[in-house]
Amino acid sequence: MSYIRFENIVKNFGKNEVLKNINLEIEKGQLVTLLGPSGCGKSTLLRCLAGLENVTSGRVYLDGRDITDVNPRDRDIGMVFQQYSLFPNMTVEQNVAFGLKMKKTDKAVIKKRVADILDVVGLSDKIKHYPSQLSGGQQQRAALARAIITQPKVLLLDEPLSAIDALLRHSLQIEIRRIQKEMDITAIFVTHDQDEAMVMSDVIHLMHDGIIEQSDSPTMMYTQPSTKFAATFIGHYNILSAADFKKATDVSLDCDDVAFRPELVMIRDKPFEEEGYDMYFTGEIEVRLPHGNILRYAIDCNGVQIDVDVLFKKARLFPDGAKVYLAMKKADCIEL
Amino acid sequence: MKKKNVGAVLAIAVILVYLLLPLAVSIIYSLFSNWTQVIPRGFTVENYVELFTNPDFLASLGRTLVLCIFPIICTIVIVLLALFVTTIFFPKLEKYVQVICMIPYTIQGVILSVSILSVYINNPTFLSERLVMLFGAYCVIILPYIYQGIRNGMRAVNMPMLLEAAEMLGASRLYAFFRVIVPNILSAIIVSSLLAVGIIFGDYVLVRNLAGSSFPNVQIFLYQTMKSDSMKASAVFVVIMAMTFLIAAIVLFLKSRDGHERSKRKVKE
Amino acid sequence: MKRRKFLYLFALIPFLLVAFLYELIPLSMVVVNSFRPDEGVGFTLENYETVFAKLLYQKAIINSIKISLISSCIGIVIAFIGARAAHQTHGKLNSIFMTILNMVSNFAGIPLAFAFMILLGNAGIVVQIGRALGIDAIANYNLYTSNGISMIYVYFQVPLSTLLLIPAFDGVRKEWQEASTLLGAGKSTFWRKIGVPVLMPSIMGTFSVLFANALAAYATVYAIMMNNISLLPVQIAGCFVGDVKIRQGLGGALSVTMMLIMIIMIGLTNLVSKQFQKGGAKA
Repeated sequence: MSYIRFENIVKNFGKNEVLKNINLEIEKGQLVTLLGPSGCGKSTLLRCLAGLENVTSGRVYLDGRDITDVNPRDRDIGMVFQQYSLFPNMTVEQNVAFGLKMKKTDKAVIKKRVADILDVVGLSDKIKHYPSQLSGGQQQRAALARAIITQPKVLLLDEPLSAIDALLRHSLQIEIRRIQKEMDITAIFVTHDQDEAMVMSDVIHLMHDGIIEQSDSPTMMYTQPSTKFAATFIGHYNILSAADFKKATDVSLDCDDVAFRPELVMIRDKPFEEEGYDMYFTGEIEVRLPHGNILRYAIDCNGVQIDVDVLFKKARLFPDGAKVYLAMKKADCIEL
Repeated sequence: MKKKNVGAVLAIAVILVYLLLPLAVSIIYSLFSNWTQVIPRGFTVENYVELFTNPDFLASLGRTLVLCIFPIICTIVIVLLALFVTTIFFPKLEKYVQVICMIPYTIQGVILSVSILSVYINNPTFLSERLVMLFGAYCVIILPYIYQGIRNGMRAVNMPMLLEAAEMLGASRLYAFFRVIVPNILSAIIVSSLLAVGIIFGDYVLVRNLAGSSFPNVQIFLYQTMKSDSMKASAVFVVIMAMTFLIAAIVLFLKSRDGHERSKRKVKE
Repeated sequence: MKRRKFLYLFALIPFLLVAFLYELIPLSMVVVNSFRPDEGVGFTLENYETVFAKLLYQKAIINSIKISLISSCIGIVIAFIGARAAHQTHGKLNSIFMTILNMVSNFAGIPLAFAFMILLGNAGIVVQIGRALGIDAIANYNLYTSNGISMIYVYFQVPLSTLLLIPAFDGVRKEWQEASTLLGAGKSTFWRKIGVPVLMPSIMGTFSVLFANALAAYATVYAIMMNNISLLPVQIAGCFVGDVKIRQGLGGALSVTMMLIMIIMIGLTNLVSKQFQKGGAKA
């Protein structure tokens, strides 16, 4: 039986149905991401597990126990919030010790465990600092230490890195992942950033409009989106209706929409001679946009726009308006 | 550009002179025994020496202190409790608490004091005790200031998130509120209590109407002294104003320090 | 969980106790009493008839409104100039100004009355100096009139209203002034056409605070005039405190009248500021 189980969870805010019959299971020791745009219900689902929101109907199980009606403080769950959740009047040490103090742990034990955990998160030298004396990243490390020091059954992270700038965010993602594996923590991470979800998770649950669109490993999520929304949200898929797809490539597929990754379309300035592709078509460069290490061409194929990515290094620069030859494999097209 | 600033500086200077003139005159008046010509004569600190050896004055100071301490502590506690309940459990009730707290701001002293007087003067219980009425009236008259101070303090810290964080760590809501939120809004509480001290310290209406002559505070002492001897009264005046300004200065200092810290935190983001 | 939540309502009891005992019950009793005869029971409008028929109380109402209006108007004009000046200056002078405004805003009541008596009273310094220098206009200045009282009220209105108006000036964008200058408007045109209309809601809000403040002021005027001036607060206090028998009904009616005047003024200023807000939103 799974470690955490959401069973038919419905949550209404007034007339607004935020969670629509969610069923979800999470395995022990994994880091699972709830990914989705803002307003999709991911934070609400997390807060239902924490007990900070009551579910309208449905049950929540943790480690074989029905915790639906249990007080948040008795659920044995740790939580890291967005920034500024550290108690500003307490030092890092007092903040981190708070949970143990609530459990009436022996003072000497508290001191030892605080020192240990601060060592793990790399804040040993900030033990006497107040939150306002820490950078955003350090504050979140302290918040993480505070959440895991009581060895909760599950750690919840509610967009903990959203207020931190890009460079630091990346190193914190890796750090959180390292600590989670090292200490064998079951963790649920909420984010709206698909790159973050890719980097960190064992499993991604993609949420949209109060339902779970797709649950998969990052690789599967990336290569095999199962719905149109998943294809739109993950990566930068070309999504064409079957009619447009036919118009552009002259290939008919029996489905509503077709999705394919822009880097899987080959581009040449003269017709392809080699075998190995099963679709050949032509287009005209509309515009090219550099995106870091890739170059993205927007190409007009018989009145339908298709994006094609090439590595910048390899790119032979096609001028705007140039006629180009394109090729791709049918197997790379995902029928939705 | 420069011309405009001269105008502004001039305006400020004129207003400052206007505001400070009555103060300056009274201070000088208290330090000279004879001021019937343009230049005052006969420098003396006798008025002050006499004042600080006057047991009536010292007693009135003590009474004022008592009048400050109890109502302020009482009001802080009841407002904290009320806001604890309403903000966490019954947000819908909060606007009623707010209305109740803001009414005294428009009613002010005279009506409040006579209405309390008329209700309780003939009450057979302890409620007709003049001091009890006075304490009650002070609690109510400082409500707007204490309420707003605490409410603003709560807004400045991210109260819902801090409470949730404490709760997830195993704290009860009561513990979280008084051990996590209250320490963080302490400076807001101190500022609003000092404002309240200023109000009670400057009160004449309530104490006169409710306590009559039975509990003369410094304002009553000043009033009685100025009816008999304006020289002596001028020293009382200076002492009262010095204390009032000291309170105002501390409030201003605390506020600017808070603002400073907040802006510093902003910069860090 | 639900039941425990309602247990917390007990924490509201101390607050409600104080609020009911010393605010809500007394204030509603004032209103109730104003409709009751002092002797016996029943409903009567007698008290209100007295208030509006007797010359003494008519005068109290008129005097109160007059003094409050005059002192608030003068106060707000000075405050406007002061707040604008504070807005245009920076650094040390500005912080000195702010500090003194904050301190002097606590200068009211008996001490204020005393300072003005020292300065402008019958034996006051200014009068004495006027006599010494032989300047009759100064020597004969009479503080103990309703104009004299208005002048004292102006004094405590200035710091309060300046402090209330200064934040509003931050809402007047420098860009607007620059734009209007580029379009050929002078400074005074800018303030007349743009600055004041934009500030009008704040000015009106401040004005109603000043008016209420002056209307309810008691200690200052009592210290100077005792009961020798007919003002609403003086008459109200007179009905309850002093040698005469307590006249709850009349005092109640006077209190209700005073509260009504305040409410009407708040309503009027709201109306005016709404007018300007509407215009502002359209423009």
